[in-house]
Amino acid sequence: MTSSANSTFTSRGWQRHLTTILIVAGLLLVIWFGMRSVVSAIRVWRTGLQPGVTDVEAIRGWMTITYIARAFGVPEEYLFEAVGIPVEGNRRKSLGKLNREYTPGERGVILKRLKVAILRYQTEQPERTRGAP
Amino acid sequence: MSEISLTDWLLTGMLNYGAPTFSLALLIGAIGVPLPNTFFVLAAGAFARQSAIDGPTAAMLGFLGAVVGDSLSYGIGRVARTWVQRRFVGSATWHQALVAFERRGGLAIYLTRFLITPLAIPTNLIAGSGGYTYWRFFLYTASGELTWIILYGGLGYLFGAQWEMLSRLVSDFSGLLVGLIVLGAGLYVWLRRRKPTDVTVATKRKMTIRK
Repeated sequence: MTSSANSTFTSRGWQRHLTTILIVAGLLLVIWFGMRSVVSAIRVWRTGLQPGVTDVEAIRGWMTITYIARAFGVPEEYLFEAVGIPVEGNRRKSLGKLNREYTPGERGVILKRLKVAILRYQTEQPERTRGAP
Repeated sequence: MSEISLTDWLLTGMLNYGAPTFSLALLIGAIGVPLPNTFFVLAAGAFARQSAIDGPTAAMLGFLGAVVGDSLSYGIGRVARTWVQRRFVGSATWHQALVAFERRGGLAIYLTRFLITPLAIPTNLIAGSGGYTYWRFFLYTASGELTWIILYGGLGYLFGAQWEMLSRLVSDFSGLLVGLIVLGAGLYVWLRRRKPTDVTVATKRKMTIRK
């Protein structure tokens, strides 16, 4: 076999492998993301995209108490007091960081206290609270 | 809640320091650090609605961060250009790819900014290493990033409470589009391989005559 024929053969083999890889990877991506897209679309459709829906389940570890207070329309001091943390020096800290500092070793304690406090405030003062983050 | 991720750190930063952190997030995401940039844009829109961030400033700085990040990754491709040219010198496929990119690269650059975002970094690198002119790249990038900021920032602003859910849908749909493109490319190469070229036909004819 000449060198040019050999190189053509190698190039063809490489092309065949590339084609197989592209088709298989493409199919896997289409199936995986197609299913995920359908699930996400159904979830969005069922929930309905309405701004201002109050849901404490939307609170995440990266949020600060100051932001949560603003988003839910609950006084900042009320939330700090409810979770048992001083306001000073903690306004810019995330819930995750506060949890690590004030309740080390116990996962999500601050978050749980915060949710209870918001729900309590919403029951006590329903007209003053508003949407979720 | 104990894990510290870069995404969480940047989101907290956006709440505390506003638009500059948002801009930084988009810049480092555009360079190639795996960050959910569309998620950040939707979040910025939602934060603007809740007055946690100044909307117009965030849009302006975010746009700037994204364009600078894209230009930097284009620059990385440009730096690698000598190596790429040495590696693929004389390759007909590489030459064909460059010609095709020269012809339709603008559309690819524009669409990968907001619709098929997972392919944005490879597109930047190809544009840089393939010698696509910077000003053309800049023009399409700026238009694409502007569309991205307005479209997703606007959606985040409109559906403030459900921006996370919306982000998941956008990200999954983007993944689906990438899958379709990869599958389409595979089928295209397969069909081209099946179609006999003029050379193959001529060789077969010669062999038949010899027999």
